[in-house]
Amino acid sequence: MNEWNTATELPWLWAGMASYALATFIVIRGVVLTRGGAAGAAVNRGYETPAFIFILAGVALLAMALAERWIRIGHGPFVNLFELLMSQLFSLGVIYSFAYWRYPAIRASAVVALPLMWILGVWVLMLEPSATAFPPTYYNNWLWAHVGLGKFFLGFCLVGTGLAGALLLRGVPRLEPWFRQLPSDAMVDHLAWRFMLLAFIFHSAMLIAGAVWAQDAWGRYWSWDALETSSFLTWLALGGAIHARLTYRLPMRAGAIFIIVVFIIAFLTYFGTPFYSSAAHKGVI
Amino acid sequence: MNAVLSPFASLRLTLVGMVLLAIGAAMSYGNPETTSVWVLVVPMAFLAINLLAAIITNPRINRRGGLLTFHIALLGVVILAAIGRLTHLEAHVELVQDTAFSADELFDDSRGPWHASDLDKLVFVQGPYTVDYAPGMVRGLTHSEVRVPDGQGGWERRVVGDDRPLVLEGYRFYTSFNKGFAPLLTWMPEQGEPQTGVVHMPAYPLFEFKQDNTWKPPGGPEIKFWLRLETGMTEKAAWILDGQKAKGTLVVNSGAERVELQPGETVNLPGGQLRYERLSTWMGYKIFYDPTLQWLFVTAVFGVLGMSVHFWRKFGARMPAAAAADTLKAGNYSATSKGRAI
Repeated sequence: MNEWNTATELPWLWAGMASYALATFIVIRGVVLTRGGAAGAAVNRGYETPAFIFILAGVALLAMALAERWIRIGHGPFVNLFELLMSQLFSLGVIYSFAYWRYPAIRASAVVALPLMWILGVWVLMLEPSATAFPPTYYNNWLWAHVGLGKFFLGFCLVGTGLAGALLLRGVPRLEPWFRQLPSDAMVDHLAWRFMLLAFIFHSAMLIAGAVWAQDAWGRYWSWDALETSSFLTWLALGGAIHARLTYRLPMRAGAIFIIVVFIIAFLTYFGTPFYSSAAHKGVI
Repeated sequence: MNAVLSPFASLRLTLVGMVLLAIGAAMSYGNPETTSVWVLVVPMAFLAINLLAAIITNPRINRRGGLLTFHIALLGVVILAAIGRLTHLEAHVELVQDTAFSADELFDDSRGPWHASDLDKLVFVQGPYTVDYAPGMVRGLTHSEVRVPDGQGGWERRVVGDDRPLVLEGYRFYTSFNKGFAPLLTWMPEQGEPQTGVVHMPAYPLFEFKQDNTWKPPGGPEIKFWLRLETGMTEKAAWILDGQKAKGTLVVNSGAERVELQPGETVNLPGGQLRYERLSTWMGYKIFYDPTLQWLFVTAVFGVLGMSVHFWRKFGARMPAAAAADTLKAGNYSATSKGRAI
């Protein structure tokens, strides 16, 4: 069924994405304008507040889009890819804007983090906003805990990956002036891993909440279905990366690559699973 | 003792174990029959030994309360999951309305070697059920009524379904999508006592067009049954499957004879008479038993709390100040410093 004409959430979604696009443009332009200043010279920070305002506006507009869709189809954004992407864009915006506001030192890394969100942004704009029936097993409160904790995980992962990406880009001589606003490499590395450790905590909690939900919903807490296997591999990858960093005292750029690999695995878990499994969670319908 | 255990506590071994576990997990995707459970058991046992040795010998773990709690909890989860697999039971059962649960009727039964079955102690009686359907035949909530002893000689009515299992003695009964109709029949042989029983028809509405089954009465010929149902089912609108309101005409085929019966009607067949008493229903349940469930949950939550405490003590208060201070030094960064332990 073609729902392009009846999906009242679309204008809000498009406005939200436009706001994110403006924030991305402002950040990139602001960071690039830093170029040319000598090391230690005053850096351009004038872009930070406008970028923050547009990220917040995007979050607010996406909240409206989610609310509009919720009212239209009668259930939350938990089932099909369109609404999952929309919901992730909202939650990533919330978490990233909080980190952006709370830790001014990391703001230049938005030049990496915001374009990453655009992978979801472009994707959601290409999907039909169709409504999907709400499975009976989704009326469980643990679903909220599971999904909510997962959003925190991915949000902190995004912040860590933004920092890791900035750390790597800063190693390219031509791009090095873009990131003068960031603290030292050691501090960027430190902050990136702190966010990844936070992500690890929330991922662990997400797995617990998911297991409780799965037990209620399908009568088993773990069954190695597509999402369970993939999310366990993500947990192992992140745990392994943390241990590798401790064991081998990884150089910062190697650590940054580890963080990006974990983010890729997490991204595939969240958004790639539907492409290799017809039912992400067994018994979902 | 530490000298003996230290080699087993190596973080490098942890990484090896994690890689092996990741391979085992990937091989276990979808529970393929060709993959042995050992691809998970071996790396988990390996990691458990490594973890235990690390907890005992590694001061970076055992002198930090939060980190210690996390690692002990992780070990606890592995041990409890193993105990759970050894003591678990998973099975299915189909219960006809107004009949009591019987452990003899389980099928697809899988149980751990240490499972001490208390199934014979379980008492409940299946009642009627309803299932909501959205337009397009999309299944919604299931409301299955059961009666359990109230402890005072009576019965307590409970409604279960989907994510609300019936829990008795630790056994959890989950309704499944598998449910259907069952005509209640009485066979009255020319000689001997009448017998009353049901014929399970295939799941409904999944096999709406195949509501048939056969039965061979004692001393009689094989009878083919076909059930023509009126349930109000429609694909275009929402509807409720309610066995109490459904009507069913039973088509009986025996040899060349074909008779349509309404509830209460009787047909003469070679060897006796068959009476179609009424239309009944059956509900399919998945049974799950694992005595470690609550402990697993509590242990895992403690693990996350431990890690959170560790994070907070190590970074919580210092993070903004350190970052802010460093911001002032923007531009004075070094590309050579090594990563720090977190």
